[in-house]
Parts: sequence; C-alpha cells; structure tokens
Amino acid sequence: MNTAPRAERWSGYALLTVLAIAVIVPFLSVFLASMQPSGEPVVGMAWPEQWSLENYRNAWSVAGFSELMRSSLIIAVGVVPASLVLAALAGYALGTMRLPGGNAVAALFIAGLTIPVELIVVPLYFDLRTVGLSDSYLGVILVEIALFMPFSVFWMRTHFRTTPQSLVEAARIDGASSATILFRVLLPLARPPLMTLGLLVFMWSWNQFLLVLVLIQDATKRTAPAGLGFFVGQNNTDVPMLAAGTIIVMLPITLLYLLFQRSFVSGLLQGAFKG
Amino acid sequence: MGNKWRGYLFVLPALAVYLAFAVLPALHTAYLSFFDWDGVTLGSWTGLDNYAEVFQDPGLRGSVLNALVLVVFFAFLPILMGLAMTGLLARHRRPGMAAFRLLFMLPQVVPLVAVGVTWRWLYGDDGVLNETLSGIGLGGVTRAWLGDFDWALVAVGVVGTWVLSGLCMMLFLSGVQKIDTHLYEAARLDGAGAVREFVSVTLPHLRGEIAVALTVTTVAALASFDIVYVTTGGGPGEETTVPGLLVYRLAFSDGKVGLASALGVVLSLLILVLVYVINRLSRDER
Amino acid sequence: MTDTRFQRRRRRVPTAVCTLALALLLTACTALTPGSDTGGNGPRTVPRSTAVPDEDITLRLTFADAPVMVDALIAAFRKKHPRITIEPSYTQFADYVKNIKLSMASETAPDIAQFAVGMDDIAARGDILDLAPYRDTYGWDRDFPAANLEQLSGSGEQATTGRHLYGVPAGLSMTGIYYNKELAAKAGITGPPKTLAEFERQLAAVKEAGMTPLGVGALDSGGLHLWAALVNNMMPPRDYRDWVKGADGATIKTKETLAATDKLTEWSRKGYFNESANGTGQVDSTGQFTRGDSVFLINGNWAAGQLAQAMGDKAGFFLMPGEKPSARAVSSGFSVSYAISSRTEHPEAAGAFLDFLGSPEAAKIVVANGFLPPDAGAVPTPKGVLGEVAREHKRVTADEGMNHFPDFTAPNMLDPLRAGVQKLIAGRVSPGGYLDSLQAVWKERNGK
Repeated sequence: MNTAPRAERWSGYALLTVLAIAVIVPFLSVFLASMQPSGEPVVGMAWPEQWSLENYRNAWSVAGFSELMRSSLIIAVGVVPASLVLAALAGYALGTMRLPGGNAVAALFIAGLTIPVELIVVPLYFDLRTVGLSDSYLGVILVEIALFMPFSVFWMRTHFRTTPQSLVEAARIDGASSATILFRVLLPLARPPLMTLGLLVFMWSWNQFLLVLVLIQDATKRTAPAGLGFFVGQNNTDVPMLAAGTIIVMLPITLLYLLFQRSFVSGLLQGAFKG
Repeated sequence: MGNKWRGYLFVLPALAVYLAFAVLPALHTAYLSFFDWDGVTLGSWTGLDNYAEVFQDPGLRGSVLNALVLVVFFAFLPILMGLAMTGLLARHRRPGMAAFRLLFMLPQVVPLVAVGVTWRWLYGDDGVLNETLSGIGLGGVTRAWLGDFDWALVAVGVVGTWVLSGLCMMLFLSGVQKIDTHLYEAARLDGAGAVREFVSVTLPHLRGEIAVALTVTTVAALASFDIVYVTTGGGPGEETTVPGLLVYRLAFSDGKVGLASALGVVLSLLILVLVYVINRLSRDER
Repeated sequence: MTDTRFQRRRRRVPTAVCTLALALLLTACTALTPGSDTGGNGPRTVPRSTAVPDEDITLRLTFADAPVMVDALIAAFRKKHPRITIEPSYTQFADYVKNIKLSMASETAPDIAQFAVGMDDIAARGDILDLAPYRDTYGWDRDFPAANLEQLSGSGEQATTGRHLYGVPAGLSMTGIYYNKELAAKAGITGPPKTLAEFERQLAAVKEAGMTPLGVGALDSGGLHLWAALVNNMMPPRDYRDWVKGADGATIKTKETLAATDKLTEWSRKGYFNESANGTGQVDSTGQFTRGDSVFLINGNWAAGQLAQAMGDKAGFFLMPGEKPSARAVSSGFSVSYAISSRTEHPEAAGAFLDFLGSPEAAKIVVANGFLPPDAGAVPTPKGVLGEVAREHKRVTADEGMNHFPDFTAPNMLDPLRAGVQKLIAGRVSPGGYLDSLQAVWKERNGK
C-alpha cells in the first residue's frame, strides 16, 4: 500500500483519538467515582485524593454483589456448555446431512433470530410457575438456551457447511457412523467457532436483564445486571458505592473480552445478528 | 425409522428446547393477546380489542413512536458515523488499529444495565456533562438531561449511539478489507478522489455489512428496555416510554396481561417486517 | 472402544433432554387458558395458634419506607425473640410498587411485606394471609386504633368490610412541607405560613432573595405529593374520599381541583421549584434540602428522621396551609403496615413480629424516626422537627383530615400521576387534560 498524504493520515488519527476519548470518558468517570470516599457527593470527574478499594469491599460484601455474581456465573455456566452441545449436534445434521424437510427446520430456527425477549417473557412468567420453574436457575437457563438457540444453530450450521465435504465422505467410506464423523473428524476442526460461540453466549447470558427481572423474584438469586438495576433504585445517593457495583458487574465480561479478544471481535463482527 | 430421518436425532434436542422455551411462549403470547386477563382471575376473550387499543391509545402508540425515534440514534447515526470513519480510514493501513478496535467494541460487550447506570450519572445534575458544559462557559445550558421533556429521549438515544457506533465502524472496516485492492487502484488510475472512490467502490461493496448493521441496530432500538429502565424509567411524562417498558409494566404491575401481549406481538411483527425489508432491499439491488 | 462410548453417550444425552423438554411442553400446554390455575393454593388465613415454636427461625421482610426505623424495630424485636432472625430487604417505593405483585406471587415470596398499593388485589388472590384470628387472640383491636385497621381490611372490591385484616400498622405516615429555618430567616420569613396566600408570599420572597424556594422530587412521588397537598386543601375531603374509594359518580375534575392544579402550574411557571425537579428523586431532593439547596421541601414524615439527624434544629415542618387560618387540617397519609405472605413457613413468628409493632417499645422507635405511633398517647412528643411533625399529625387526626394517597385509587394510577405532574411542571399538559387522564384511569377501574 502506498503511504497517505500526511494531512490525511493525521486527521484520521486525530478523529480516532477523539472517538476513543468519547468511549473512554464514561468508563473512566465511573471508575474515578468508585474511588471516592463512600457516601460523599461526587461532582464531575474528580481525581480521588486517596485511592481506596473500600467501596468495592462494601459493594462486594455489604451490598451483596458477591451473591449476584455467583448467580450470574451459575446461569452462564449452565447455559454455555448446553448451548454448545445442542447447537453442534443440530448444526452438524442441518449443515452436512440431507434431511427431509431440513431446510424448513433450519428456517424455523432462523426465524427466531430476531425474537425480542418482550415477545416471550409474559407467558413464560406464568408457564414456568405452572411447571415449578419460577425463581429457579434451571428455568432461566433453559429459556436462555432457547433464546440463543437460533443463533447458535445458525452459527454451527454455517461452519459445518463450509467444512470440506470430502472429509465427511472419506470418513463415511471408512465405515464411520455419523456420530463418529462428528466427534472424531469435524469437532476437532470446529474448535475456533465453538470457542467464539461459547464467548458470545456467555456474554448474552451475562448481560441479560429483562428476562431475569421477571423470572427471578427471589432477591438472593438475582443476577448481577438485575441486582444492579435494583441497586440503582436504592442507592442513587451513594454514587461511589453504586459506581463500584457497576464496575464489578462489568469486570468479568471485560476481562474475558480482553483475554479472548480475537475470538470475541470476530464473533461480534461475523455474528452481529444478535445484540 | 428410515435412515434418512436418523439425522433428526441430532436436531431433536436443540429443537425441543427451542420449541418449548421460545416458540411455544411466543405462540402463547399471541394467544393471550386475545384475552382481557389480569393475571389472576379467569380471563375473558376479547378478540382484537387489545390490538385496537395498541393502535388507538396515545400512550401505547407513543411508545412505538419513541422506539422509532430511537432507531435514528441507535441505527442511523452509528451507521453514518461508521461510514464516515471507514471513508477516512479505509484507504490506508494504519498501525495501532487493533487497539482502537478493541476499545471501540467494548461498549458493545458490557451489560447495557451497567452502561445505563454509568450514563445516568454522566447526565446527572453534578454529572460530567454538566460539569464540562459549565467548565467551558456553557453553564446556561446545563440541566437534568434525563428529566427534561425536550432532551430526555435524545439523551437516551445518545447512549445507544455510544454503544453501537463502534460495532458499525468495525463491521464496515472489516468489510472493506474484503474489497479487492485492484478496484481501488483502478479507481485511482481513473483519477478518482477520496470521495468518489468511497461512493463508487467502498459503498457498493459494503451493502451486505450495512444491511447487517442496520438489522442489528434497528432490533436493538425497537426492543430496547435495559437502558430506558435504568436511566429514565420512561419519564419525564411519557417522553421515553418504549414498548418493552410498557410490556413489563402492563403485564406485571397494571394487571393487563392481554394488552401487554398484544403490544409484544405488534412490536415483534414490526421488527420482522423491518428486518425483512432491510434484507430484501440489500439483496435486490446487489 | 471409543466408538461405542460415543454411541452410548449419543443416546443417553439427547433422550434425557428430549424427555425433559417434552414433559415441560406438555405441562405448559395445559396452562393455555389464562387464569385457570392461578391463585394461592396455600392457606388463606393465619392459623389459630400464636405459639412460636422454639427453634431458630429466619424471616425475610421486604419494605419501601424508613430503612432506619425498620432496622431498629428488628433489633428490638430480636432482643425479645433471640431465636427469630429477620432479614430486611429495602427497595425504593416506585420499584417496590412495580414489583410487589410479582414477588408476593412467587414461590419464594418474602415472609413479611410492607402493605402497598395493589395489596387489595394481592389479598384477593390469596398471596397474603387474613390476620383476623391473630387480631382476636392478640387483641389487636385494643392495641391499634380502629380507623387504622379499617384501612387494612381491604377486600377485592375495595370495600372496607372489616371482617378481614391484611396488615398491621407500625407507624402512620403523612406528607407536608419542611423548611430550613436559617435560610428562611434570610428571606425574612419568621414562621410557618397560616394561609396559602401567605405561603405564596413566602415562596416569592425566597425567589426574590435568590434562593430556590421549593424542592420537589418529581422524578418519583414528590410531584404527586405536592399536587395532592394542594388538592387536599381545596377539594372537600368527602368528595376526594369518594373518588379514591370509587364511589358512583365521583370525579376528580371539579372546580376546586382545577384551581389546585392551576396553582401547581403557576408555581412552576414562576420558577418556585428546583430547576431539575423532573429529574430529581425524592431521596435526592431531600439530600439537596439538607445541603441548603432549597428553602422548602415537599416530602413525607418518613424523611423527618434523616432531616433531624442532618440539620438538627434548623429543620421545621408544617402542613400545606388552607385558604383561611381556621381551615381544617387535611393531609395525605397512610400507615406503614406489614402483611404476612401465605407462603411463609412461620406464620406464628411473623405474627409475633406484627404484634410487637403494637408495643410501647416499638412506638418509641417509630416516633424517633418521624412516624406517628398508632397509639398517640403511648409516647411523649419528641423535640425538634420530629415534634413538629407529631403535632401537625395530631391536628390532622383531631380534624379527621387524613386523606388516602391518590395512587391508592387504582394499581395503575401511580404512573399517570407521576407522569402527569411532570408534564404539569414542564407545562406540557393543561390542568384539565391532566385531570381527564386521571379520571380515565379511575373509570377503567371503577366504571364497570
């Protein structure tokens, strides 16, 4: 590539920097607020006189964020593996086999890609009560799996469709069963898309709000975002503590994002279908 | 069982969960939308009355209109910004882009509730926005942005712009990388400037990405709930009520489950139609 | 080897998942007729026995008013019943009301909950217990004034039959206006106003002096308290109560309420409220008042404890004055009362806590936090702003001037009130249009 004219190059960077500041300022201000003395009014972006983790300790133990995080983790850990297994199985069949009516089934899944939570949450509240799954992690886990399933199946199907058919044929000629082909031949190759899918599903599960707000009424089982939503109502005067809670809720997903940035970014860009 | 059908053994688990916990509740919502039901006592069939109310009641209609206004902030602005940045950055490779990319995608990753809490405070009386405005001598325009009838919806919309711009930008930039560099060289040989190059080469090739971005962001705007719930709760007045908020409120505190269901159905249909139109347009012209 | 293992696993996992999913699918289908299976299947009323079993018991209590008072009550109760632990969980009022129906209907409902708007529906559904047997065994009709129990005997039809009892009052609440005596003196104000006209002159004087006259937390309920206070003093209480009760032909759109609503918009136009009233919650408006950001504050007695602590003698309290000095003392109020979930495993322990609320010991704590004890004679009147609240409350009680809060009209009345007053403050709706919107909600609830 040829080098750009100097002015154009610098204007590009200048603009990038401005946007970067726009992205950083909210994060930075909430972080700085979380470092102020507990209970004091915070004005603008003040540099704390003394750095202290006191607000974090309080939010974690007193305000119960440790329990909230545990609930979130339990749900995410339930949702992610199940989603991966179910989506890999279904995506394999729909992507590599000629099933009678297979396209219709695939279409049924794809039709669910844009289902908003608003469409299913009202009866779910009543239905889960009927089957005894209200206020339970299992209820939320099953609903989240179902909610993310269209994308998960779509994602794995796309992947399996692009793996060379010759691999499958060769294995079949060797006498391998469908299951063997999937587990011995295809899945080892599918690690990167599975990894990306797992991260995306984890993120959606971690960030889910409306569903949990309705399906979990038990304060001790609320997830981190739902807990934060309630916490705002209770503590809008104690900005430093609220800020610490906000950071705590954002931290796990941010760390995952930084650790697995490549998978994450590619997943978000390729699979921007749900958000 | 025929050999052909055996493959369904693989599909069945996923299908069963999907049907039981997504498709069935969706159908159940549609069914409930024909009832006048308070969630407690026996409901009564009211036919299409709930739908009539969704379209006639100013509050409910208003919430749909608010959501459409949010589309401007959640979808149009991020896409315009993304395209502008792409036009500026696409022609040349720039070192350090990976770091910017990482940063710009971050708002998309963290929980919207946390984003809402953060902005709620930025917009507050003593928040960063007002302090900055006072600092640069604009003390006269400071206000409680989220409590202001003229500005609340805009303020909520800007949060959406903040969340989704990075995604759009990165979507387009990665799309640009798939464009054959020869096309640019050819355009340059023809003496095309930056603008013409953008319009004649970049834009047409980004049609797919634009469609995806438009789909994602439009759905995010219409189905928005988290940000509104924590920033304004729908206020002041009904300036920022969105359908999602009303579905929640009608079903669970006002005891109007049927009406909430009808609103949910209308919202979903609106989303489906828009998504269909967007993807149809992007495909037809290709 | 490996192949067979895969095969076995293949069969086992999907079969299990399928069976589970299909079972759920089938059960869900039977629930398709709305309303066929809802309602509490548990007990509808507390057991006869009041004897608390001698074991370690934990009760969960959810509430929306006066966290400090609740903590103190719990601590005092714990001293008497060391084996009963009460875990309080506090939610702000607006969120509380939004959520209470769901949380009381859930399998993990808290054992004890603060009585709020919509409790009539919750009682009708069977999610809270009828306390009538305890009233008789504990003798609550002696401990608590009849009028206050009457408010808690709601039935599905909102009539007060008095046969049932769904809550027990800890403290009584009432709204009014606080003022900062120091700042008021700077504006030449020497004492609380005796008439509405005098209050308006004071507001103008404060404005003149370059300070913010009246702090209103209109983001949540502050605005509607202000509106109700104005209505209380212009609309005859009997008409207002008919409206709240849903009596035939009652209306909120009268000459008097139009005048009251006009007054609110006039004050807003004149800039008497804090500039960002619509973006300020009640808690925040109270915080600003303690910092001297406004001279007056509309709020309820529940803020008195906090104000006494933060401002000491600087804070004063008075009721929104009427047109004449001799006017009847009218205010809005209810009791901070608690109900027992029908899903509790320990109705006896919960009953013991409710009974404790009627004790002189509890009354002391209630008073210390700015609430009025159900039995006014039980404790001496406190000093400072708490005493001013108590004295004003006695005037209201003597004049039989306690009105229900307007949002008790219907479960979905809170939002139109909150949003409506915000619009009035911003000049986005005419007083007539606002009253029409309230009457429409009222009609939907009562006009069948």
